[in-house]
Amino acid sequence: MRILDLAYILALGAGLGLGSAHWAVAGRSAIGRVEVGAWTAWPRSGSREVDPYMRAYLARGVHLPLGSGEGLELIAERDDAGQALDGRCRYRLSGATPTTRGWTIGITDGDGLPFRLPLERTSFTDSEIVRPEDGGLAIIASSTPEAGNWLPLPSSGRFQIRLRLYDTPISSQTGETRASNLPRIMRVDCR
Amino acid sequence: MSAVSHDPPQRRPSALAGWRPYLRAGLVRFVMTTLAGLILAAIVHIVTVLAIPALSRHDAAHAYRELGNDGHAEPVPWPGNARGLPVLREADPNVVTAICNYDLSAGPMRIAARTGSLPLGLTLHRRGGGVLYAITDRAAIRGTLEFLVMTEAQRDERIAADEEGETSRELRIVSDTEQGLIVARVLQRLPSDRADAEALATGVACGLAN
Repeated sequence: MRILDLAYILALGAGLGLGSAHWAVAGRSAIGRVEVGAWTAWPRSGSREVDPYMRAYLARGVHLPLGSGEGLELIAERDDAGQALDGRCRYRLSGATPTTRGWTIGITDGDGLPFRLPLERTSFTDSEIVRPEDGGLAIIASSTPEAGNWLPLPSSGRFQIRLRLYDTPISSQTGETRASNLPRIMRVDCR
Repeated sequence: MSAVSHDPPQRRPSALAGWRPYLRAGLVRFVMTTLAGLILAAIVHIVTVLAIPALSRHDAAHAYRELGNDGHAEPVPWPGNARGLPVLREADPNVVTAICNYDLSAGPMRIAARTGSLPLGLTLHRRGGGVLYAITDRAAIRGTLEFLVMTEAQRDERIAADEEGETSRELRIVSDTEQGLIVARVLQRLPSDRADAEALATGVACGLAN
């Protein structure tokens, strides 16, 4: 009976321990996550103080996160209303970007890879967009062509919007950034 | 006269009564072994999470250990590259990334980058995860960004060798691992900046310090 007890303890410990560890490091952890409006960032992933879960997640693939003093990556998987981003819908990105020496904004899949679309336009830099009179941001993301700054989307399915800010002061104070300082993501309509 | 007796029937001992102590002991045993299993699971979970960075052979430090060993940074491989190296995940397509390996077993490394009109950043990624240091071209002096990477023991030796009363102007970064990566990133604002960005990123020199 003692052998059965020991086998049960070992099986439970190893199975649950390894399984939960695998699950915990399969994606970016909730520890160290900062949410500002529709955007999510992990500012400590590029520092010495990276938490063990994020460190393990980054070690499981070929990742080179932006250094804390180098820049900040923000990821949006939902629009400002909290609805998941969907390729069947049109989105308007507007508003402001924080003080930075340069930024890029792009469309990726859940793994951070650009989609293979007929038109090879997966992102914009701050120098590439055409600005309206007020100098703000005006980008339309949709699967069908649009006038102006158009980011093509896949015809269906989930996607992410990634905003990368280079040499920005907010990388050290992301949690104190207001949502109004980041681009707004508004759903226009859906097919 | 009724033959029915009003005396309460004598309760016969239940069949389970004899088993009750055994059932209780079995339940206690199950709870205790489950508790022990959960404690073991917590230990296995923590040890696994902490061990992954040290044991992983798929991280950037291992994947790119052959890049930038000849004194200057090499660009990260593209999909389908001839060397069969894995592609950098979650990379910004508007950024040119180049890599230098560092190995401090032979001595401190000197990193020098020429700056230009495009934003450039240098980061130090230790083996096992974590960015030790990040600097951008805004810290450049006369168009050059330069620093030394060394272990703590090497830094102590260098401080001991410094001239008495003189302040060293070297920027010394201490790495707690002997191996790691120096990553140069240059933002190309326009597609036509590609060549300039590549020249800046691959122009980063990384060799043994004197």
